[in-house]
Amino acid sequence: MRKDQNIAQQTDFLLLGIYLLMVVFGIVNIHSASNASFDVSIFDIGNNTGKQIMWFGFSLFIGLIIMVFDLKLVRASIYPAYLVVLVLLVAVLFMPPINGQKSWFGVGSFGIQPAEFAKITTALVLADYISKINVKLQNIQSVIFANMIILLPGILILLQPDAGTLVVFTAFLFVMYREGITYDPIIVRIINSYPGVRIKNTWIGSNFIPILFVVVILSLLTLTIRESEIFVPFTLIPLRGKFIIVAFIGVVFILYYLIIQRLVGKRDRPKILALGLVSGLLLSLLVLGVDYGFENLKEHQKDRIELALGLEEDPHGRDYNRYRAMSAVGSGGFSGKGYHNATVASPVLNHVPEQETDFIFCTLSEEWGFLGSFGLVIIFSVFLIRIIIIAERQKSTFSRVYAYSVAMVLFYHFAINIGMNIGLAPVIGIPLPFFSYGGSSLLSFSVMFFILLKLDSERGNMLVGE
Amino acid sequence: MNFEGRKIFIIFFIVATSIIYSVKLFHMQVIDNTWSERAAFISETRREIIPPRGVMFDRNGKKVVSNSPYYDLRFIEKNIVDLDTQALAKLLQVHDTFIRYRFDEIVKQQGIYKGKSNYQKAREYTFIQGITKEEIARIAPELYRFPGFYEVATSMRNYLYPNGANILGYIAEVDKEKVDNDPYYRSGDFIGKAGLERFYEEELRGQKGIKYLLRNAANNTIQSFDEGRMDTMAIQGKNLTLSIDIDLQAYGEQLMKNKLGCIVAIEPATGEILALVSSPSYDPNLLVGRQNISANYPKLLLDPYMPLFPRPTQAEYPPGSVFKLIQALIAMQEGVITANTGFPCTSSIVGCHGHAPAGNVSSAVKVSCNPYFYYTTKKIIEQGKKKSIFEDAAEGLAIWERYMHSFGLGVKLETDIYGIRPGLIPNPAFYDRWYGKNGWAFKTIRSIAIGQGEVKLTPLQMANVAAVIANRGWFITPHCVKSIGDDGPHPEYLIKNKTMVDSVHFAPVIDGMRRVIEEPGGTGKNAKVPGITVCGKTGTVENPHGKDHSVFIAFAPMDNPQIAIAVFTENAGFGGTWSAPITSLMIEFYLKREISDKAKEQRILDAVILPTLKKK
Repeated sequence: MRKDQNIAQQTDFLLLGIYLLMVVFGIVNIHSASNASFDVSIFDIGNNTGKQIMWFGFSLFIGLIIMVFDLKLVRASIYPAYLVVLVLLVAVLFMPPINGQKSWFGVGSFGIQPAEFAKITTALVLADYISKINVKLQNIQSVIFANMIILLPGILILLQPDAGTLVVFTAFLFVMYREGITYDPIIVRIINSYPGVRIKNTWIGSNFIPILFVVVILSLLTLTIRESEIFVPFTLIPLRGKFIIVAFIGVVFILYYLIIQRLVGKRDRPKILALGLVSGLLLSLLVLGVDYGFENLKEHQKDRIELALGLEEDPHGRDYNRYRAMSAVGSGGFSGKGYHNATVASPVLNHVPEQETDFIFCTLSEEWGFLGSFGLVIIFSVFLIRIIIIAERQKSTFSRVYAYSVAMVLFYHFAINIGMNIGLAPVIGIPLPFFSYGGSSLLSFSVMFFILLKLDSERGNMLVGE
Repeated sequence: MNFEGRKIFIIFFIVATSIIYSVKLFHMQVIDNTWSERAAFISETRREIIPPRGVMFDRNGKKVVSNSPYYDLRFIEKNIVDLDTQALAKLLQVHDTFIRYRFDEIVKQQGIYKGKSNYQKAREYTFIQGITKEEIARIAPELYRFPGFYEVATSMRNYLYPNGANILGYIAEVDKEKVDNDPYYRSGDFIGKAGLERFYEEELRGQKGIKYLLRNAANNTIQSFDEGRMDTMAIQGKNLTLSIDIDLQAYGEQLMKNKLGCIVAIEPATGEILALVSSPSYDPNLLVGRQNISANYPKLLLDPYMPLFPRPTQAEYPPGSVFKLIQALIAMQEGVITANTGFPCTSSIVGCHGHAPAGNVSSAVKVSCNPYFYYTTKKIIEQGKKKSIFEDAAEGLAIWERYMHSFGLGVKLETDIYGIRPGLIPNPAFYDRWYGKNGWAFKTIRSIAIGQGEVKLTPLQMANVAAVIANRGWFITPHCVKSIGDDGPHPEYLIKNKTMVDSVHFAPVIDGMRRVIEEPGGTGKNAKVPGITVCGKTGTVENPHGKDHSVFIAFAPMDNPQIAIAVFTENAGFGGTWSAPITSLMIEFYLKREISDKAKEQRILDAVILPTLKKK
């Protein structure tokens, strides 16, 4: 009895509140994205809304079980669960493909995607591994082993092939970055194998992940907005593709310069300014290089990349799926067209594909306008930052690593899903957590969330569950 | 080591992403209006308004082809709720399986793009086309039971006479290839498939109008887009005034009933086709609308007498004796004979029928003397310009061919009915291919002299020969449309084509043609029309496959020709027996509108001249 009270007292109700708010608002949107009018009963199990409500109920039930569960049992079942998911990931490869992907176990109209649950088991195993006394992410064996934990399900998911979920798995790299991972031992060993060279560490190895991230993001962004054109504010000077990014880097550098002038002592200024200048120049070079490289590819190679980035043309030739999604978002205006009044992301006219799953943000933005979409961005950001605050207050490494995993996985989904709706990210088919229609997705994110809530409620315990 | 500082980087990323996304969202949704315009463009619905097709009138202003209201049954799959296919099949009076079949067919028709069907559940498709007013009166009140289905008024062709099917042609649903290659057409549109409907498609179809509508989430029209500023009006197709005399056409078809063959009548001065009978013919209304076409087209196609075959423009027959007229004209123009040249009736060379030898061109035409025209043609072909008889014949034939082309023979007579054949006028290259260079002389090819052998003409070309003679040396390309709207015919149908024969040479030939009909011993006495001087020429075409074909060409009246005509009756034997009386009836009907010799008319109407068909 005392323990239950403890859980209730220690539960982070802010986080729980945001979770409930998001799921309910999500269901409201699914109703509009799936049905032409209010007439359809929300409790009709044959309807998307009814199904989602049922899955929500089921998620809450599982969540309740997790909250009252003994964490010792949870930790004991981590590795078996990880293995079971791996087996499922292998088994799913023998299922009939749906839309060219072998990623579903289907029973009637209900389906389960093991890849969704692989995120949870991978997060738990990674957390467990890193929290071991003898594991240090500065040792070469530990680094390799930690990466293997991610790579194993990652490869199986790639075989489905589900590139979107694989991308999400790179979120764990940031978790390891926070835990101090350095690839230096590997890099240093390779460099030192050269006769006569002897170095102790490099800056690149320890900051490998953020550097990689920035390089990848900038490259993708360069390719994604190659064809875009904007005007420099208050002028008629057009900026095309790569130059938008280069100009943006320039603006950031000017801000950086102004901040340095104000905040950094005179003695350190030249060094820090030089660092910023060199980074800015290198990044600009990267952008120009990627664009130049792409221009010089053969036509079919370009096509393949454009296909992978979702820049492929839609069946009716005139525009892109992304273009349609952006039209839906952009036409929402400040306050939206009103609930059930979307004209582009409408369930009847079908101008936006997958609008109740991957493109649910279209319906929301078109019907609720900037108020709705900005609200969603704010709520999500608060939710993510709150998880990071929670992560940092954990006394156990296990809980902290797990909390960071949750934060980063959700952040990836958030950034990519909304990014592709507003033309800032390639079209990778991954759902918007708690909003997109789909039982597998809602249940797995909920389980992930409730485990976090449970761990946090027992944060006083240094060796949670051990 | 403490790595807590690294959380700053992560939080920075989250905050930066949120700020960039918020700015972008604000820009897209609040500042930049272009996305709203694009959204309107996407959700706008283009509705095409198809104007009524142009109407056709005959030369006397009688309406021949008009449009009458019909209905389409259309559907939008998204709006269909619990379709009871059995009840629907019962309502539409089709077989149960048709409903499923038709859905599959529509989906298939849309084609596939990158592995996905172009079919869209939210789009409107036509389920059944061409429902009559009577049928829709029964169907429409019941449609409430089938949400997603609704009727749309359209128009369809209505042929007011059961005649002229081979001239008018028909319209049918445009095929997929055309839709892919011509942006004007959309799946389900109608297009002219044959005859004038096909040739004048662009004039008849008019200009589609486009109405832009905005639709709301439930697919209901909410307003016209941009206050209708972008809408365009549909423009009705142009009306055609045909040169056809529909009564003459009907009369011709009646006369040709139970016979195979054709009648082509032309007004010589204008080249306007007055009647173009192809027999057997069929009621053009048989090919109106999807159901009629699918029910009747195969039947017509498989009919052993080939009613769909447009004989006047596409059948190529040896012309027989009517060809002799041209031989005489060419020979006189070439100077190898004069109007008064005589030849003996040497029936050892070519068979002939007993008659007094012809002492001049006129008499030769009158009695249709085979040896006479053998000698005449020999003189054209063998002009003695080269030593070798082979080279001489080649040169002579080349000259002869140019004359023939100037008469519109051996070349396509570019009339305005879709699908014409050029016939065949052999040239030196043609015989070289058969016999080798210098492998043939006049004797080898002599059967062309009397219009047999390799020579082939379409009935339209035969009638045109009559028109040329009536005009004494020129013709206007025969055509069926007198005027497009009020603009007159296509400009090419105003051009006089001069033949290479001067008009002075026509008098003896015309005199012979008069004597064919008017004098005792002429071959075409049956073509006599009381009170009118008719000039004509019989032809009997040897047919290796069966009974000879009967041909007659004529024009009348002699001094002020109003009508030039060719009648071709397959397997009817001697030209004077069948084709000549039919010619006279047509001329009399056209010029007098009444028939004096009822017995003659009755004899023709009663005649059944159909070849027995070999069973396959």
